[in-house]
Amino acid sequence: MHDRRERFEAIVLPHLDAAYRFARWLSRSPGDADDVVQEAILRAFRGFDTLRGSDVKAWLLTIVKNCHLTAVTQQQRRAFVPLPEEQNVQDGHAMISTTPDPERSSIDRDEQRTLDRLISALPEDQREILVLREIEEMDYREIATVINIPIGTVMSRLARARAALKTRWFKEADGESHAMR
Amino acid sequence: MQCAESLRVQAYFDGELDALSAVDIERHSGTCDECRALLNDIKQTRATLRHNLRYESAPPALRARVMRALDQESEVKSPRLQRERITSRRLRPFWQGAFSGIVGTGVAAGIAFFLLAPPLMRPLVDDLVSAHVRSLMPDHLIDVVSTDKHTVKPWFAGHTDVSPVVADFDQQGYRLIGGRADYFDHQRAAVVVYKHGSHVVNVFSWAAATGSIPKNTTRNGYHLAFWKTGDLVYCAVSDTAWDELLGLVRLLQDTSTRDAR
Repeated sequence: MHDRRERFEAIVLPHLDAAYRFARWLSRSPGDADDVVQEAILRAFRGFDTLRGSDVKAWLLTIVKNCHLTAVTQQQRRAFVPLPEEQNVQDGHAMISTTPDPERSSIDRDEQRTLDRLISALPEDQREILVLREIEEMDYREIATVINIPIGTVMSRLARARAALKTRWFKEADGESHAMR
Repeated sequence: MQCAESLRVQAYFDGELDALSAVDIERHSGTCDECRALLNDIKQTRATLRHNLRYESAPPALRARVMRALDQESEVKSPRLQRERITSRRLRPFWQGAFSGIVGTGVAAGIAFFLLAPPLMRPLVDDLVSAHVRSLMPDHLIDVVSTDKHTVKPWFAGHTDVSPVVADFDQQGYRLIGGRADYFDHQRAAVVVYKHGSHVVNVFSWAAATGSIPKNTTRNGYHLAFWKTGDLVYCAVSDTAWDELLGLVRLLQDTSTRDAR
């Protein structure tokens, strides 16, 4: 038992940061993300014996995704009228650290905030695949495992997500000259 | 109208095509304006994303919470161990646990070395993964903090047995953040540390003892890429995708070739 826990800590817990980042992009709030991560780690620990092969990170992120889906279902059952996700554009700000980052200029930080907001406003399936490819740097096969879709769907969805982000980015840049910030 | 090759162009960009198809797509995007524009777009999107996005690691409070939850879970499973766990385990920081796991892995690797003599490369791979994981612990990543290769390289001369190639590839997305000395394979190996987005890439180097080097492999969610330049064996370890890891390997190999000239 002792041994199992130690192996778990050595093999799975190094991917805690990745699990956390992924949960933050999936969830609506930091608090939700924390709950999802904790639940995912527990499930991973219970199912640790079923882990085969070397794809630990993809395996853990799959569990994170499932925990997120469970949490969303539960929330919707509790809430009377679930909020449409795409209108919740403020959420992205949660990912921005409030402490100033000396490495970045204020222009950079503005850009960061804008991008954050745009990504948060993407439909969940597109946001998820962008995060897995560009931030977690997973390949198609790993992404297919985590989301549980065929590789062909990974390709088409990723293409859609990239195009959608680009379009929104340009729209934002266009609007900028008119709007006061 | 979308070009029929657009998905393959994207796959080419993501490093998912075999060499033959890659040449095919390179030729195609040379003549197809639409696909050339697409390549440009997704390149831009990636650059913007990786430059701007906040990369966060799990906050210490969450880490502690997860450890407590694991403690409780273990108690449910093994009530006999309960008391011992509460007294000893709860106070122990996460990394101490992780470290003992690594030591355990090391011991296991040692035993495996003697029991399973033919797969000689296994312990080496285990050692490298352990060293990589250990480096991710707070304060273990770098001994000399510098983004300047002219600081990192001389530092190795005094602290390790080898003098590896050191270069900054910030433009290409691999930021040099420092160097470290690591003891394994009976020598003081040099480790050059790069940051790629939120991912740490450790590039280990040590003097080659035998002619053969291990094949590229994946262990515990980390990719390991091996190559040899002159008398040095290199191994790059990270949890990035293969494409991103091999990108750095190519840059380092090109730099060695240039330096040799």
